[in-house]
Amino acid sequence: MTNQAETSPSSATVNDNDLERIAELASLVAAAQDALTDDMVNRLAAAFSEGIMLLDRLTRNEGLMSLLQVLDTPEIQQLLIGLTDGLTQMSREFATTPPSKGGLVGMMRLASEPGTQEGLKSLSLLGKYMSESIRELHRRGTPLPEPAAWRDRQGAFTCRRC
Amino acid sequence: MRILVVGGGTGGTIVANNLARRLATEIRAGKARITMLSASDQHMYQPGLLYVAFGQMMPDELYRDEASLLETSIKFHVDPVEQFELDQNRVRTKSGKTYDYDILVIATGSRTMSRKIPGLEEGAETFYTEKGAVKMFKNLRNFQGGKVAIVVGVPHKCPIAPVEATFALHDYFKGRGIRDKVEIKYHYPINRIHSIENVAIWAKPEFDRMGIKYETLFNVDEVDVENKVVKSMEGSEYKYDMLVSIPEHHGMEVIEKNELGQNGWIPTDRYQLTMEGHDNVYVVGDTTNLPVSKTGSAAHFEAEVIAENISSIVKIGTPVTDYDGKVYCFIEAGRDKATYAMFNYLNPPDLRAANKPMHWFKMSYNKMYWTSVRGLL
Repeated sequence: MTNQAETSPSSATVNDNDLERIAELASLVAAAQDALTDDMVNRLAAAFSEGIMLLDRLTRNEGLMSLLQVLDTPEIQQLLIGLTDGLTQMSREFATTPPSKGGLVGMMRLASEPGTQEGLKSLSLLGKYMSESIRELHRRGTPLPEPAAWRDRQGAFTCRRC
Repeated sequence: MRILVVGGGTGGTIVANNLARRLATEIRAGKARITMLSASDQHMYQPGLLYVAFGQMMPDELYRDEASLLETSIKFHVDPVEQFELDQNRVRTKSGKTYDYDILVIATGSRTMSRKIPGLEEGAETFYTEKGAVKMFKNLRNFQGGKVAIVVGVPHKCPIAPVEATFALHDYFKGRGIRDKVEIKYHYPINRIHSIENVAIWAKPEFDRMGIKYETLFNVDEVDVENKVVKSMEGSEYKYDMLVSIPEHHGMEVIEKNELGQNGWIPTDRYQLTMEGHDNVYVVGDTTNLPVSKTGSAAHFEAEVIAENISSIVKIGTPVTDYDGKVYCFIEAGRDKATYAMFNYLNPPDLRAANKPMHWFKMSYNKMYWTSVRGLL
Protein backbone atom coordinates (compact mmCIF):
# COMPACT_ATOMS: atom_id res chain seq x y z
CA MET A 1 0.00 0.00 0.00
CA THR A 2 1.34 3.40 -0.93
CA ASN A 3 1.55 6.08 1.67
CA GLN A 4 0.03 9.23 0.14
CA ALA A 5 2.20 11.42 2.36
CA GLU A 6 5.42 10.08 0.84
CA THR A 7 7.23 12.47 -1.47
CA SER A 8 7.92 11.52 -5.06
CA PRO A 9 11.61 10.98 -6.04
CA SER A 10 11.71 14.23 -8.03
CA SER A 11 10.36 16.37 -5.21
CA ALA A 12 12.75 14.65 -2.82
CA THR A 13 15.68 15.64 -5.05
CA VAL A 14 14.77 19.33 -5.33
CA ASN A 15 12.75 21.06 -2.67
CA ASP A 16 12.23 24.68 -1.71
CA ASN A 17 15.21 24.68 0.65
CA ASP A 18 17.52 23.42 -2.07
CA LEU A 19 16.31 26.07 -4.50
CA GLU A 20 16.80 28.72 -1.84
CA ARG A 21 20.37 27.52 -1.27
CA ILE A 22 21.09 27.54 -5.00
CA ALA A 23 19.75 31.09 -5.17
CA GLU A 24 21.99 32.05 -2.22
CA LEU A 25 24.97 30.46 -3.91
CA ALA A 26 24.17 32.28 -7.15
CA SER A 27 23.99 35.60 -5.32
CA LEU A 28 27.34 34.82 -3.66
CA VAL A 29 28.88 34.11 -7.07
CA ALA A 30 27.34 37.32 -8.46
CA ALA A 31 28.71 39.30 -5.51
CA ALA A 32 32.20 37.82 -6.01
CA GLN A 33 31.93 38.57 -9.73
CA ASP A 34 31.05 42.20 -9.01
CA ALA A 35 33.83 42.56 -6.43
CA LEU A 36 36.62 41.03 -8.52
CA THR A 37 38.61 43.05 -11.03
CA ASP A 38 40.85 41.96 -13.90
CA ASP A 39 43.86 42.97 -11.81
CA MET A 40 42.79 40.77 -8.90
CA VAL A 41 42.23 37.83 -11.23
CA ASN A 42 45.68 38.47 -12.74
CA ARG A 43 47.37 38.50 -9.34
CA LEU A 44 45.56 35.38 -8.13
CA ALA A 45 46.36 33.51 -11.34
CA ALA A 46 50.01 34.61 -11.21
CA ALA A 47 50.33 33.44 -7.60
CA PHE A 48 48.68 30.12 -8.43
CA SER A 49 50.89 29.70 -11.49
CA GLU A 50 54.14 30.42 -9.59
CA GLY A 51 52.97 28.29 -6.65
CA ILE A 52 52.19 25.26 -8.76
CA MET A 53 55.54 25.55 -10.58
CA LEU A 54 57.38 25.76 -7.25
CA LEU A 55 55.45 22.76 -5.94
CA ASP A 56 56.30 20.83 -9.10
CA ARG A 57 59.99 21.66 -8.72
CA LEU A 58 60.02 20.72 -5.05
CA THR A 59 58.17 17.43 -5.45
CA ARG A 60 60.40 16.37 -8.33
CA ASN A 61 63.64 17.34 -6.60
CA GLU A 62 65.21 13.99 -5.66
CA GLY A 63 67.63 15.54 -3.19
CA LEU A 64 64.88 17.36 -1.33
CA MET A 65 62.61 14.31 -1.32
CA SER A 66 65.47 12.20 0.06
CA LEU A 67 66.11 14.83 2.74
CA LEU A 68 62.41 14.87 3.71
CA GLN A 69 62.36 11.07 3.98
CA VAL A 70 65.44 11.09 6.21
CA LEU A 71 64.04 13.92 8.31
CA ASP A 72 61.01 11.74 9.00
CA THR A 73 63.05 9.07 10.87
CA PRO A 74 63.21 9.23 14.72
CA GLU A 75 67.01 8.98 14.59
CA ILE A 76 67.36 12.17 12.53
CA GLN A 77 64.70 13.94 14.57
CA GLN A 78 66.82 13.21 17.68
CA LEU A 79 69.84 14.51 15.81
CA LEU A 80 67.95 17.72 14.94
CA ILE A 81 66.93 18.13 18.58
CA GLY A 82 70.59 17.64 19.51
CA LEU A 83 71.60 20.21 16.90
CA THR A 84 69.14 22.83 18.18
CA ASP A 85 70.20 22.14 21.79
CA GLY A 86 73.81 22.52 20.72
CA LEU A 87 73.07 25.83 18.99
CA THR A 88 71.30 27.14 22.10
CA GLN A 89 74.16 26.10 24.41
CA MET A 90 76.72 27.54 22.03
CA SER A 91 74.92 30.86 21.95
CA ARG A 92 74.69 30.95 25.77
CA GLU A 93 78.34 30.08 26.20
CA PHE A 94 79.41 32.80 23.76
CA ALA A 95 77.34 35.27 25.76
CA THR A 96 78.73 34.26 29.16
CA THR A 97 82.42 33.54 28.56
CA PRO A 98 85.18 36.04 27.66
CA PRO A 99 86.58 35.96 24.08
CA SER A 100 89.51 33.61 23.40
CA LYS A 101 92.99 35.12 23.84
CA GLY A 102 94.37 33.13 20.91
CA GLY A 103 97.82 31.54 20.81
CA LEU A 104 99.09 27.98 20.62
CA VAL A 105 98.56 27.23 24.30
CA GLY A 106 94.88 28.10 24.03
CA MET A 107 94.63 25.99 20.87
CA MET A 108 96.25 23.01 22.65
CA ARG A 109 93.92 23.41 25.63
CA LEU A 110 90.86 23.48 23.33
CA ALA A 111 92.07 20.48 21.33
CA SER A 112 92.59 18.44 24.49
CA GLU A 113 88.97 18.90 25.60
CA PRO A 114 86.79 15.77 25.01
CA GLY A 115 83.93 17.90 23.62
CA THR A 116 86.19 19.38 20.91
CA GLN A 117 87.39 15.92 19.96
CA GLU A 118 83.77 14.66 19.76
CA GLY A 119 82.87 17.65 17.57
CA LEU A 120 85.79 17.05 15.18
CA LYS A 121 84.89 13.35 15.06
CA SER A 122 81.26 14.20 14.09
CA LEU A 123 82.44 16.50 11.28
CA SER A 124 84.97 13.97 9.96
CA LEU A 125 82.33 11.20 9.99
CA LEU A 126 79.91 13.47 8.10
CA GLY A 127 82.62 14.30 5.54
CA LYS A 128 83.56 10.62 5.15
CA TYR A 129 80.04 9.33 4.51
CA MET A 130 79.02 12.29 2.38
CA SER A 131 82.01 11.88 0.05
CA GLU A 132 81.35 8.12 -0.19
CA SER A 133 77.71 8.82 -1.13
CA ILE A 134 78.63 11.45 -3.75
CA ARG A 135 81.17 9.05 -5.32
CA GLU A 136 78.53 6.32 -5.43
CA LEU A 137 75.99 8.68 -7.08
CA HIS A 138 78.50 9.62 -9.78
CA ARG A 139 79.36 5.97 -10.32
CA ARG A 140 75.66 5.18 -10.93
CA GLY A 141 75.22 8.15 -13.29
CA THR A 142 74.77 11.66 -12.05
CA PRO A 143 71.33 13.27 -12.29
CA LEU A 144 73.00 16.68 -12.55
CA PRO A 145 73.42 18.36 -15.98
CA GLU A 146 76.77 18.01 -17.66
CA PRO A 147 79.12 20.93 -16.99
CA ALA A 148 79.07 22.16 -20.62
CA ALA A 149 75.26 22.22 -20.77
CA TRP A 150 75.16 23.93 -17.41
CA ARG A 151 77.58 26.59 -18.62
CA ASP A 152 75.30 27.34 -21.61
CA ARG A 153 72.32 27.46 -19.28
CA GLN A 154 74.06 29.98 -17.03
CA GLY A 155 74.73 32.15 -20.08
CA ALA A 156 71.12 31.93 -21.16
CA PHE A 157 69.95 33.16 -17.77
CA THR A 158 71.24 36.64 -18.56
CA CYS A 159 67.99 38.44 -19.13
CA ARG A 160 68.18 41.37 -21.51
CA ARG A 161 65.19 42.98 -19.80
CA CYS A 162 66.31 42.55 -16.20
CA MET B 1 68.39 8.01 -28.56
CA ARG B 2 69.38 11.57 -29.52
CA ILE B 3 66.34 13.85 -29.73
CA LEU B 4 66.89 17.29 -31.21
CA VAL B 5 64.28 20.03 -30.89
CA VAL B 6 64.73 23.00 -33.22
CA GLY B 7 62.83 26.04 -31.96
CA GLY B 8 62.09 27.25 -28.45
CA GLY B 9 58.53 28.55 -28.85
CA THR B 10 55.38 27.05 -27.37
CA GLY B 11 55.46 23.79 -29.38
CA GLY B 12 59.20 23.11 -29.05
CA THR B 13 59.29 23.88 -25.33
CA ILE B 14 56.28 21.68 -24.50
CA VAL B 15 57.66 18.78 -26.57
CA ALA B 16 61.07 19.04 -24.85
CA ASN B 17 59.69 19.37 -21.31
CA ASN B 18 57.07 16.67 -21.76
CA LEU B 19 59.74 14.32 -23.13
CA ALA B 20 62.15 15.14 -20.30
CA ARG B 21 59.46 14.16 -17.80
CA ARG B 22 58.50 10.97 -19.64
CA LEU B 23 62.11 9.92 -20.30
CA ALA B 24 63.65 10.95 -16.95
CA THR B 25 64.89 7.43 -16.21
CA GLU B 26 66.33 6.92 -19.69
CA ILE B 27 68.07 10.32 -19.62
CA ARG B 28 69.61 9.57 -16.23
CA ALA B 29 70.83 6.22 -17.49
CA GLY B 30 72.36 7.86 -20.57
CA LYS B 31 69.96 6.06 -22.96
CA ALA B 32 68.24 9.25 -24.17
CA ARG B 33 69.40 12.82 -24.65
CA ILE B 34 67.32 15.90 -25.43
CA THR B 35 68.91 18.96 -27.03
CA MET B 36 67.14 22.18 -27.94
CA LEU B 37 68.46 24.76 -30.42
CA SER B 38 66.76 28.14 -30.40
CA ALA B 39 67.27 31.48 -32.10
CA SER B 40 66.71 33.35 -28.84
CA ASP B 41 67.38 33.01 -25.12
CA GLN B 42 63.94 34.55 -24.47
CA HIS B 43 60.49 32.98 -24.66
CA MET B 44 57.60 35.27 -25.55
CA TYR B 45 53.93 34.74 -24.72
CA GLN B 46 52.73 35.93 -28.11
CA PRO B 47 48.94 36.10 -27.44
CA GLY B 48 49.75 38.81 -24.90
CA LEU B 49 50.64 41.22 -27.71
CA LEU B 50 46.95 41.92 -28.36
CA TYR B 51 46.63 43.09 -24.74
CA VAL B 52 49.75 45.26 -25.12
CA ALA B 53 48.15 46.93 -28.15
CA PHE B 54 45.20 47.95 -25.96
CA GLY B 55 47.18 48.90 -22.84
CA GLN B 56 46.02 45.88 -20.85
CA MET B 57 49.47 44.29 -20.46
CA MET B 58 53.02 45.61 -20.37
CA PRO B 59 55.61 44.08 -22.74
CA ASP B 60 57.86 42.82 -19.93
CA GLU B 61 55.02 40.57 -18.72
CA LEU B 62 55.32 38.56 -21.93
CA TYR B 63 58.91 37.32 -21.51
CA ARG B 64 60.75 34.62 -19.56
CA ASP B 65 64.24 33.18 -20.00
CA GLU B 66 63.81 30.06 -22.10
CA ALA B 67 66.36 28.22 -19.93
CA SER B 68 64.26 28.89 -16.83
CA LEU B 69 61.29 27.15 -18.48
CA LEU B 70 63.17 23.99 -19.46
CA GLU B 71 63.74 20.85 -17.43
CA THR B 72 67.36 20.83 -16.25
CA SER B 73 68.07 17.60 -18.14
CA ILE B 74 67.54 19.36 -21.50
CA LYS B 75 70.67 20.70 -23.16
CA PHE B 76 69.79 24.18 -24.36
CA HIS B 77 71.84 26.19 -26.86
CA VAL B 78 71.08 29.58 -28.39
CA ASP B 79 72.32 28.71 -31.86
CA PRO B 80 69.79 28.88 -34.71
CA VAL B 81 69.80 26.16 -37.35
CA GLU B 82 70.78 27.24 -40.86
CA GLN B 83 70.92 23.94 -42.71
CA PHE B 84 68.78 20.84 -42.37
CA GLU B 85 70.60 17.76 -43.73
CA LEU B 86 67.71 15.35 -43.27
CA ASP B 87 69.30 12.52 -45.27
CA GLN B 88 72.28 12.53 -42.91
CA ASN B 89 70.13 13.05 -39.76
CA ARG B 90 72.08 16.23 -39.05
CA VAL B 91 71.64 20.00 -38.81
CA ARG B 92 74.18 22.81 -39.09
CA THR B 93 73.88 25.94 -37.01
CA LYS B 94 74.81 29.60 -37.35
CA SER B 95 77.88 29.08 -35.13
CA GLY B 96 79.14 26.39 -37.57
CA LYS B 97 78.45 23.43 -35.28
CA THR B 98 76.70 20.28 -36.43
CA TYR B 99 74.19 18.34 -34.37
CA ASP B 100 73.34 14.71 -35.17
CA TYR B 101 70.02 13.23 -34.15
CA ASP B 102 67.95 10.09 -34.20
CA ILE B 103 64.68 12.03 -33.92
CA LEU B 104 64.22 15.64 -35.00
CA VAL B 105 61.40 17.96 -33.96
CA ILE B 106 60.97 21.10 -36.08
CA ALA B 107 59.19 23.89 -34.21
CA THR B 108 60.46 27.02 -35.90
CA GLY B 109 57.15 28.95 -36.00
CA SER B 110 56.03 31.61 -38.45
CA ARG B 111 56.62 35.25 -39.42
CA THR B 112 54.60 38.16 -40.74
CA MET B 113 54.83 39.08 -44.43
CA SER B 114 53.54 42.68 -44.42
CA ARG B 115 56.24 43.65 -46.90
CA LYS B 116 54.54 41.58 -49.63
CA ILE B 117 51.91 44.31 -49.99
CA PRO B 118 53.09 47.77 -51.05
CA GLY B 119 52.53 50.35 -48.32
CA LEU B 120 51.18 47.90 -45.71
CA GLU B 121 54.29 47.84 -43.50
CA GLU B 122 54.58 51.64 -43.41
CA GLY B 123 50.88 52.49 -43.39
CA ALA B 124 49.30 50.02 -40.99
CA GLU B 125 49.36 49.30 -37.29
CA THR B 126 49.95 45.68 -36.36
CA PHE B 127 50.25 43.94 -32.99
CA TYR B 128 52.27 40.90 -34.07
CA THR B 129 55.54 42.33 -32.69
CA GLU B 130 56.30 44.02 -29.38
CA LYS B 131 57.36 47.21 -31.15
CA GLY B 132 54.22 47.19 -33.32
CA ALA B 133 51.88 46.55 -30.37
CA VAL B 134 53.36 49.42 -28.31
CA LYS B 135 53.20 51.77 -31.32
CA MET B 136 49.59 50.77 -31.99
CA PHE B 137 48.61 51.52 -28.39
CA LYS B 138 50.30 54.94 -28.45
CA ASN B 139 48.50 55.82 -31.68
CA LEU B 140 45.18 54.58 -30.26
CA ARG B 141 45.72 56.81 -27.21
CA ASN B 142 46.20 59.82 -29.48
CA PHE B 143 43.30 58.96 -31.79
CA GLN B 144 40.48 61.46 -31.39
CA GLY B 145 38.04 60.15 -34.00
CA GLY B 146 37.70 59.18 -37.65
CA LYS B 147 37.70 56.02 -39.74
CA VAL B 148 39.44 52.86 -38.55
CA ALA B 149 39.90 50.04 -41.05
CA ILE B 150 40.83 46.45 -40.14
CA VAL B 151 42.35 44.44 -42.99
CA VAL B 152 43.30 40.76 -42.97
CA GLY B 153 45.79 38.64 -44.91
CA VAL B 154 45.68 34.83 -44.94
CA PRO B 155 46.97 32.57 -43.58
CA HIS B 156 47.76 34.30 -40.31
CA LYS B 157 48.66 33.35 -36.77
CA CYS B 158 45.62 33.10 -34.46
CA PRO B 159 42.58 33.01 -36.73
CA ILE B 160 40.40 34.68 -34.10
CA ALA B 161 42.67 37.75 -33.87
CA PRO B 162 40.82 39.93 -36.46
CA VAL B 163 37.50 39.51 -34.65
CA GLU B 164 39.08 39.99 -31.21
CA ALA B 165 40.90 43.14 -32.32
CA THR B 166 37.67 44.55 -33.79
CA PHE B 167 35.71 43.95 -30.57
CA ALA B 168 38.59 45.42 -28.57
CA LEU B 169 38.64 48.56 -30.75
CA HIS B 170 34.90 49.04 -30.20
CA ASP B 171 35.22 48.69 -26.41
CA TYR B 172 38.38 50.82 -26.26
CA PHE B 173 36.77 53.78 -28.03
CA LYS B 174 33.57 53.29 -26.04
CA GLY B 175 35.59 53.36 -22.82
CA ARG B 176 37.19 56.65 -23.86
CA GLY B 177 33.77 58.10 -24.69
CA ILE B 178 34.56 58.67 -28.39
CA ARG B 179 32.86 55.65 -29.98
CA ASP B 180 30.31 57.95 -31.67
CA LYS B 181 33.18 59.78 -33.38
CA VAL B 182 34.74 56.58 -34.77
CA GLU B 183 33.69 54.49 -37.75
CA ILE B 184 35.07 50.94 -37.51
CA LYS B 185 35.13 48.93 -40.73
CA TYR B 186 36.22 45.30 -40.86
CA HIS B 187 37.51 43.83 -44.15
CA TYR B 188 37.89 40.07 -44.69
CA PRO B 189 39.32 38.26 -47.73
CA ILE B 190 36.68 35.52 -48.21
CA ASN B 191 32.93 35.80 -48.73
CA ARG B 192 31.95 35.70 -45.05
CA ILE B 193 33.34 37.55 -42.04
CA HIS B 194 35.43 34.65 -40.74
CA SER B 195 37.01 31.54 -42.21
CA ILE B 196 35.48 29.33 -39.47
CA GLU B 197 31.79 29.30 -40.36
CA ASN B 198 30.42 29.13 -36.81
CA VAL B 199 32.65 32.03 -35.74
CA ALA B 200 31.25 34.04 -38.67
CA ILE B 201 27.69 33.13 -37.66
CA TRP B 202 28.40 34.17 -34.05
CA ALA B 203 30.31 37.38 -34.84
CA LYS B 204 27.97 38.89 -37.45
CA PRO B 205 25.11 39.85 -35.09
CA GLU B 206 27.71 41.08 -32.58
CA PHE B 207 29.17 43.39 -35.26
CA ASP B 208 25.64 44.60 -36.11
CA ARG B 209 24.88 45.24 -32.44
CA MET B 210 28.11 47.23 -32.00
CA GLY B 211 27.61 49.22 -35.21
CA ILE B 212 30.73 47.77 -36.84
CA LYS B 213 30.65 47.90 -40.64
CA TYR B 214 32.10 45.04 -42.66
CA GLU B 215 33.08 44.18 -46.19
CA THR B 216 33.91 40.66 -47.34
CA LEU B 217 35.93 39.56 -50.41
CA PHE B 218 38.46 42.31 -49.67
CA ASN B 219 42.00 41.11 -50.42
CA VAL B 220 44.44 43.95 -49.84
CA ASP B 221 46.31 44.88 -53.01
CA GLU B 222 48.11 48.03 -51.87
CA VAL B 223 48.07 50.81 -49.32
CA ASP B 224 48.38 54.42 -50.49
CA VAL B 225 50.12 55.68 -47.37
CA GLU B 226 50.17 59.35 -48.42
CA ASN B 227 46.43 59.58 -49.13
CA LYS B 228 45.52 56.99 -46.48
CA VAL B 229 43.61 54.72 -48.84
CA VAL B 230 43.61 50.90 -48.75
CA LYS B 231 42.79 49.22 -52.06
CA SER B 232 41.60 45.67 -52.69
CA MET B 233 42.34 43.24 -55.53
CA GLU B 234 38.58 43.13 -56.08
CA GLY B 235 38.62 46.85 -57.00
CA SER B 236 37.12 48.51 -53.92
CA GLU B 237 38.92 50.99 -51.69
CA TYR B 238 38.51 52.62 -48.29
CA LYS B 239 39.84 55.92 -47.01
CA TYR B 240 41.00 55.53 -43.42
CA ASP B 241 42.44 57.57 -40.57
CA MET B 242 43.91 54.50 -38.87
CA LEU B 243 44.64 51.18 -40.54
CA VAL B 244 45.00 48.00 -38.45
CA SER B 245 46.47 45.02 -40.26
CA ILE B 246 46.45 41.32 -39.45
CA PRO B 247 49.16 40.43 -41.96
CA GLU B 248 49.66 37.28 -43.96
CA HIS B 249 52.12 34.84 -42.37
CA HIS B 250 54.71 32.47 -43.81
CA GLY B 251 56.76 29.80 -42.10
CA MET B 252 60.31 30.79 -41.13
CA GLU B 253 62.85 31.72 -43.79
CA VAL B 254 65.16 28.80 -42.86
CA ILE B 255 62.40 26.35 -43.84
CA GLU B 256 61.94 28.05 -47.23
CA LYS B 257 65.71 28.27 -47.86
CA ASN B 258 66.14 24.57 -47.11
CA GLU B 259 63.19 23.80 -49.42
CA LEU B 260 61.36 21.87 -46.71
CA GLY B 261 57.98 23.34 -47.65
CA GLN B 262 56.28 25.97 -49.77
CA ASN B 263 56.04 29.36 -48.01
CA GLY B 264 57.80 27.80 -45.03
CA TRP B 265 54.97 25.37 -44.19
CA ILE B 266 56.24 21.78 -43.96
CA PRO B 267 54.02 19.03 -45.44
CA THR B 268 52.98 17.08 -42.33
CA ASP B 269 51.06 13.86 -41.71
CA ARG B 270 47.84 15.08 -40.06
CA TYR B 271 47.66 12.25 -37.52
CA GLN B 272 51.28 11.27 -36.81
CA LEU B 273 52.65 14.83 -37.20
CA THR B 274 55.72 13.51 -39.00
CA MET B 275 57.17 15.30 -42.00
CA GLU B 276 56.00 13.63 -45.20
CA GLY B 277 58.75 11.23 -46.36
CA HIS B 278 60.70 11.43 -43.07
CA ASP B 279 59.37 9.22 -40.26
CA ASN B 280 61.98 10.42 -37.77
CA VAL B 281 61.18 14.11 -38.32
CA TYR B 282 58.25 15.61 -36.39
CA VAL B 283 56.70 19.01 -37.11
CA VAL B 284 54.83 21.02 -34.48
CA GLY B 285 52.87 24.28 -34.28
CA ASP B 286 52.77 26.98 -36.92
CA THR B 287 55.43 25.17 -39.01
CA THR B 288 53.02 22.45 -40.19
CA ASN B 289 50.85 22.78 -43.29
CA LEU B 290 47.90 21.21 -41.44
CA PRO B 291 44.37 22.59 -41.87
CA VAL B 292 44.22 23.70 -38.22
CA SER B 293 44.66 27.11 -36.62
CA LYS B 294 48.14 28.51 -36.23
CA THR B 295 47.81 29.02 -32.49
CA GLY B 296 49.64 28.16 -29.29
CA SER B 297 46.73 25.89 -28.44
CA ALA B 298 47.16 23.78 -31.58
CA ALA B 299 50.92 23.67 -30.92
CA HIS B 300 50.22 22.54 -27.35
CA PHE B 301 47.93 19.65 -28.29
CA GLU B 302 50.24 18.60 -31.13
CA ALA B 303 53.26 18.75 -28.80
CA GLU B 304 51.63 16.38 -26.32
CA VAL B 305 50.95 13.83 -29.06
CA ILE B 306 54.51 14.13 -30.41
CA ALA B 307 56.08 13.77 -26.95
CA GLU B 308 53.94 10.74 -26.14
CA ASN B 309 54.88 9.09 -29.42
CA ILE B 310 58.61 9.81 -29.21
CA SER B 311 58.61 8.56 -25.64
CA SER B 312 56.84 5.34 -26.64
CA ILE B 313 59.26 4.87 -29.54
CA VAL B 314 62.14 5.07 -27.03
CA LYS B 315 60.41 2.70 -24.59
CA ILE B 316 58.65 0.12 -26.82
CA GLY B 317 59.76 0.98 -30.34
CA THR B 318 56.45 2.28 -31.75
CA PRO B 319 54.21 5.37 -31.61
CA VAL B 320 50.97 4.94 -29.66
CA THR B 321 48.66 7.86 -30.41
CA ASP B 322 47.34 10.21 -33.11
CA TYR B 323 46.53 13.92 -33.31
CA ASP B 324 42.81 14.52 -33.84
CA GLY B 325 43.16 18.17 -34.87
CA LYS B 326 42.12 19.53 -31.47
CA VAL B 327 42.26 23.30 -31.01
CA TYR B 328 40.88 25.34 -28.09
CA CYS B 329 40.75 29.09 -28.69
CA PHE B 330 39.68 31.72 -26.21
CA ILE B 331 37.82 34.54 -27.93
CA GLU B 332 37.91 37.91 -26.21
CA ALA B 333 34.64 39.65 -27.15
CA GLY B 334 35.69 43.09 -25.93
CA ARG B 335 37.47 44.23 -22.77
CA ASP B 336 35.43 42.27 -20.23
CA LYS B 337 33.70 39.36 -21.96
CA ALA B 338 34.94 36.23 -23.68
CA THR B 339 33.86 32.90 -25.09
CA TYR B 340 35.75 29.98 -26.60
CA ALA B 341 35.87 27.76 -29.64
CA MET B 342 36.91 24.13 -29.43
CA PHE B 343 37.14 22.04 -32.55
CA ASN B 344 39.01 19.22 -34.27
CA TYR B 345 39.29 17.62 -37.72
CA LEU B 346 35.75 16.23 -37.48
CA ASN B 347 33.77 18.62 -35.28
CA PRO B 348 33.36 22.34 -35.95
CA PRO B 349 33.26 24.77 -32.99
CA ASP B 350 29.99 25.47 -31.22
CA LEU B 351 30.25 28.98 -29.77
CA ARG B 352 28.43 30.03 -26.61
CA ALA B 353 27.45 33.56 -25.59
CA ALA B 354 30.38 35.58 -24.26
CA ASN B 355 30.52 36.24 -20.51
CA LYS B 356 32.76 37.70 -17.81
CA PRO B 357 33.94 34.44 -16.13
CA MET B 358 35.30 33.26 -19.50
CA HIS B 359 37.18 36.56 -19.80
CA TRP B 360 38.71 35.89 -16.37
CA PHE B 361 39.53 32.35 -17.42
CA LYS B 362 41.46 33.85 -20.33
CA MET B 363 43.14 36.46 -18.09
CA SER B 364 44.12 33.63 -15.73
CA TYR B 365 45.47 31.57 -18.59
CA ASN B 366 47.65 34.54 -19.61
CA LYS B 367 49.42 34.07 -16.27
CA MET B 368 49.26 30.28 -16.19
CA TYR B 369 50.78 29.94 -19.67
CA TRP B 370 54.17 29.45 -18.01
CA THR B 371 52.94 26.35 -16.21
CA SER B 372 51.63 25.15 -19.55
CA VAL B 373 54.97 25.38 -21.37
CA ARG B 374 56.72 23.75 -18.42
CA GLY B 375 54.52 20.74 -19.17
CA LEU B 376 52.22 20.98 -16.14
CA LEU B 377 48.89 22.10 -17.61
